[in-house]
Amino acid sequence: MKLIKAIVRPNKVDDVKAALEKLQISGMTVTEVRGHGKQKGHTAIYRGQEYNVSLLPKMEVEVVVPDSMADDAIKAIIESARTGEIGDGRVFVIPVLESYKIRTGEREA
Amino acid sequence: MRQYSHRMDALIQQLYADAGSLTQSVAVFALGGYGRRELCLHSDVDLLILFAGVIGGEDERFLHAFLNPLWDLGLTIGHHVREVAEGAGLEADNSEFLLALTDARPVVGDATLLDQFHGAADVARTNARTLEALKGLIAERHAKYNGTLYQLEPDVKESPGGLRDLFGAQTIAKLTDPLLLANGGSGARALEDAEEFLLRVRSVLHLEAGRHHNILSHEVQERVAERLNYAGSTPSQRVERFMGDYFRHAKAIDRSLRFALKAAPAPIGTNLVRGTDGIRFIDTREAAERPETWLALFQAALDGGCAVSDDALTCVGQNAGRFAAEAFCPTTRHREVLLHFLKPRPGLYARLSEMHDCGLLGQMFPEFKAINCRVVRDFYHKYTVDEHTLLTIRNLERLVENPVRDRERFGRLLGELQEPELLVLSLLYHDVGKWTDEDHTIESARMAHQMFERLDLDPHQRAEVDFLVREHIKMSLIAFRRDTEDPEIVRQFAQFVGTEERLKALCLMTLADVEAVSRETLTPWKEELLWRLYVDTYNHLTLTYGDEVIDREQSLHSTLLDHRPDDVSVDEVAAFLEGLPRRYLQLFSVEAVYQHVRLSRDLAPDAVKVWMTRVASGWELTVLTHDRPFLFSNIAGVLSSHGMDILRGFAFTKPTGLIVDMFHFTDEERFLELNAEGEGDLLRTLTDVVLGRADIAARLRGREQGVFRRKLPGFAPVVHCDNESSRRYTIVEIVAEDAMGLLYRVSRAMSESGCDVDLVLIGTEGRRAIDVFHLTRAGAKLTSAQQADITGNLQRVLEGRS
Repeated sequence: MKLIKAIVRPNKVDDVKAALEKLQISGMTVTEVRGHGKQKGHTAIYRGQEYNVSLLPKMEVEVVVPDSMADDAIKAIIESARTGEIGDGRVFVIPVLESYKIRTGEREA
Repeated sequence: MRQYSHRMDALIQQLYADAGSLTQSVAVFALGGYGRRELCLHSDVDLLILFAGVIGGEDERFLHAFLNPLWDLGLTIGHHVREVAEGAGLEADNSEFLLALTDARPVVGDATLLDQFHGAADVARTNARTLEALKGLIAERHAKYNGTLYQLEPDVKESPGGLRDLFGAQTIAKLTDPLLLANGGSGARALEDAEEFLLRVRSVLHLEAGRHHNILSHEVQERVAERLNYAGSTPSQRVERFMGDYFRHAKAIDRSLRFALKAAPAPIGTNLVRGTDGIRFIDTREAAERPETWLALFQAALDGGCAVSDDALTCVGQNAGRFAAEAFCPTTRHREVLLHFLKPRPGLYARLSEMHDCGLLGQMFPEFKAINCRVVRDFYHKYTVDEHTLLTIRNLERLVENPVRDRERFGRLLGELQEPELLVLSLLYHDVGKWTDEDHTIESARMAHQMFERLDLDPHQRAEVDFLVREHIKMSLIAFRRDTEDPEIVRQFAQFVGTEERLKALCLMTLADVEAVSRETLTPWKEELLWRLYVDTYNHLTLTYGDEVIDREQSLHSTLLDHRPDDVSVDEVAAFLEGLPRRYLQLFSVEAVYQHVRLSRDLAPDAVKVWMTRVASGWELTVLTHDRPFLFSNIAGVLSSHGMDILRGFAFTKPTGLIVDMFHFTDEERFLELNAEGEGDLLRTLTDVVLGRADIAARLRGREQGVFRRKLPGFAPVVHCDNESSRRYTIVEIVAEDAMGLLYRVSRAMSESGCDVDLVLIGTEGRRAIDVFHLTRAGAKLTSAQQADITGNLQRVLEGRS
């Protein structure tokens, strides 16, 4: 299993969700996060005064998928979240050693 | 005493009839003890003779004919002669008269004159002043008796625990809470007994002395005890028993007076007092029949930072259903009071909730009833629709004072709104359409239109509320669901909202609405997204609008032409609009545009068309002319030289050189109000200055010196040059402490630097001036050196160094 953690633009979450659902991946966690990548935020001006926008609002989408589906899921996320501009986000893939259902205690492969 | 009072009434009525013909309405009122029908044998007869109009010679003759026989009879007359109009200054009248007036009773003549007399008075202030005067007189009188009722030879009228104290306690109750004396002190029954006893004693005293005498001296005590049939084998036994009763009754009065002084609610409005449990009506029966006075109850609680009392809420709740919505705001004045009430401030949510709970809100705004306890099942809303709505208003009012961290920026926006009450009204209606499962925004707007008619809102107010109600979810959709880093999204949104005022209102509405969904819905993350969309849109509206001008094609297809009056041709409108920024159409009404078209016809190069109109919050000045050096600063200078405070404004310049400037200002020094020729004088000066026939600098110098003498502002002025936002202009943003002549000085500095002031947006936020200038020099943007030069000049001007 792989944990795929994608940091995407807030307005792209619905597109990412739809793309993953097409792959029959429905369980996911979405979190509001703030941060910056290479773009390092930017400086905005309001009424003649600069204010620093160093941490940009982003969405973090997390899904756990079988190893066999990881590549398709990553591809689906990248395609659906891309605008081509700086700030499109990142996808991280992390191996999952074990997974348990809390209700039953059942271990999943 | 009652019979004696009746006889006195009959005598006065007879003398009134015999006093001769009257030239105007006159009435005689009994005051004080006589007003209460407790006239003792040798008491003064206190009268108020009230004339409807100005007292003339004939009236003087009437007065003599009426009063002389009373004096001839040996009566001691205490008379007050007043004209009805004097009621306007009643609260400043002498305190004894104010107190006597509380017992006024019509004896003869036009009894309605007293209502008119009171009608001209500020009832709340008069009542408060009467109460204060009474307290002062009581303290003064008690001091004379060393503050004790246990006098060996007491004065039954003046001593502590005497009749004056009894009437004092009764007057306090009358002015504040009629049930006051029944709820504390000695109780109503003990007071009745005490009154009966003291009046009997006083009557015996007058009878014994054969004159106005109220002191129970040792020898008189014996005679009074005997006359009142006190038992006892010796005079001293009878006196002891009689004086025992006297002190018992005096103690009862003293106890009730002390209670009244301590517990009396404070009078704060017509038929309103503030008690320990909040604001309540003095007379609930009167209040029950006058629904147009109910809002004052909630306004007083809002002003006083307290609640409305339970009994007042019960009174409103029991009677609200009897009246239609129109009964609560029957006149324009009442409707203005309602809008004033809706200005966001701490306590508004609590008062609206009280109004909702007792059923008043639904009666005043029947559309609101449709969402009473309405449950809409979705994944995010946690409260019924009515409570969600009221919570949006609570969220707004929390921005007014001490907003939590990161909310100050939204609080400032609220402070900048010209009519924040329209935002509250919009919030009140934004979800009323949720009674149906259809698109609630459309239904809410439809229902709001019913309210527009009832409250007789003006077209501008209707347009603002309609926009906010209809589009209240638009900004959250864009901020949270669209890519707001895309300039095109921001451009479209800016075009959609059109003005900064609407943008600010919609932003605040979104914040308040999202936060009222549940405690968790408005995260700092969402707040940041919303703020960024606001900033980007604000910047677009204020910095790039100069690039978006109306071209020939657009001007020919403007919706303006649909309503074109007969005297204006299509070509004229098209020619006038072409080259103006599109914002022009959002800032002026259709009628104003046609007026501009007419006045700009064949406008000679040296002609100036200038006019002023009075608006709700001040004045508007519009100038149509051809551009010339120092034009903008000269107009601003003329207004400042007349003491006008410029709050908002716009300046537009067409490529042809035609300019349209509009200034919104207030007349702080009341120049226009106090000078009949003031308006003409201002317009003449303006024309002369604009055409170079007069110099404004000298006239302003004195005022400017005054400005520079002021202590330094609390924050450093900001001057920011922007050469990126607009394709055509260098933009200079100035944020500085607002001061007389500020606009004149900064715009003059720009002109002196050789810049053309093509477009201007003027705004103020409290004491802060926020001005955005679009400049060119020789038809082009400013170079870096020129920007540095003008920035330095402006900084010097703002810091008072040049």
